[in-house]
Amino acid sequence: MKRVNQGRLLSAAVFVLGVAGLAQDSPGNRRPSVTLQPTEVVSINRGHSGTVELNFRVPGGFHINSNMPHQEYLKKTELKLDAPTDIVVRKVTYPEGEDRTFPFAPDEKINVYSGDFTVTVLVRPLKTVLPTKYAVHGNLKYQACDNAACYPPRQLPVTFEVRVTKAASENKKKSPPQSPRAHG
Amino acid sequence: MKRDPVVLIVIAIVISVMLVFGIQKARHNPTSAGGAKLLNQPAPDFALASLDGKTLKLSDYHGKAVLLNFWATWCEPCKIEMPWFVDLQRKYGPQGLQVLGVAMDDAPAKDIAGFSQKMGVNYPILIGKEEVGTQYGGVQYLPSTFYISRDGKIIERVFGLVSRSEIEANVQKALGAQVAAK
Repeated sequence: MKRVNQGRLLSAAVFVLGVAGLAQDSPGNRRPSVTLQPTEVVSINRGHSGTVELNFRVPGGFHINSNMPHQEYLKKTELKLDAPTDIVVRKVTYPEGEDRTFPFAPDEKINVYSGDFTVTVLVRPLKTVLPTKYAVHGNLKYQACDNAACYPPRQLPVTFEVRVTKAASENKKKSPPQSPRAHG
Repeated sequence: MKRDPVVLIVIAIVISVMLVFGIQKARHNPTSAGGAKLLNQPAPDFALASLDGKTLKLSDYHGKAVLLNFWATWCEPCKIEMPWFVDLQRKYGPQGLQVLGVAMDDAPAKDIAGFSQKMGVNYPILIGKEEVGTQYGGVQYLPSTFYISRDGKIIERVFGLVSRSEIEANVQKALGAQVAAK
């Protein structure tokens, strides 16, 4: 009797796992939503450049075109940022994609991102900016496919914060003379 | 009554495998989400601009079997199907098939035209609109293809890329049983 119960339990587990796995894999049940992982606030001295790393994740079973797809008609992944006036976005660096072939085009290599990928943003607060925290907003434009179908282009809202600080050299300039002889 | 747990596990695995095929089939079945209400119902009529500037209505093709394919230039799997549609239009056109492509694209019409020309398309390409997609249950992924019988009813709906033989079988189904495969 105990063996039978164990068998039932095991078969029920296999059944449930199978159904759960299928529900996950069924394209109609999932949306290929790229997500932005939590981003740390980066401190940057005003008048200097600093880098912010944005870590994105493509859900399993999907891929998105890289920033430089080989085929001109494919939608590239692109980060568009709208920074505050005194925060200059100097450069956005995308990772190299992976050349892959897919069942729908076995003879054609498509340059894609899948899983985790990181986009680096070079930011430079102007010298005149007030030292405080600033938010930079933007959108990641991407277009996802799985092995048999493609999904309309989407935009992921992106926000990261930059803490602008005074450079050490600025503090030195403003500090009073240390030696009393200086006034002598 | 004693049952061998191994037998139970095998049964469970068999059921799971059947579910795999069931869900795969659901992907190509008009009764799946977004298409359930459309099966065996009259295909929603629409009027869309074609690449050559004409306005075409679906109802213009009443009496013909219509393969209605939603696609986009950025959709790689769609590109695989297009030469098959060209062949099928050539093969079954005389028997009453009309392939219609609806480009769900934000690219300029001239780019869509250039792409279609490059693909050797021999059937009308219409510039899609969101509301037409909505009429067809919301075209959430491409390619999405609807097979419409001569009497204007949707008899099959397929999401994603499938084999040419499956497409051809659906074309034959839309044309009617009297059409024999060549």
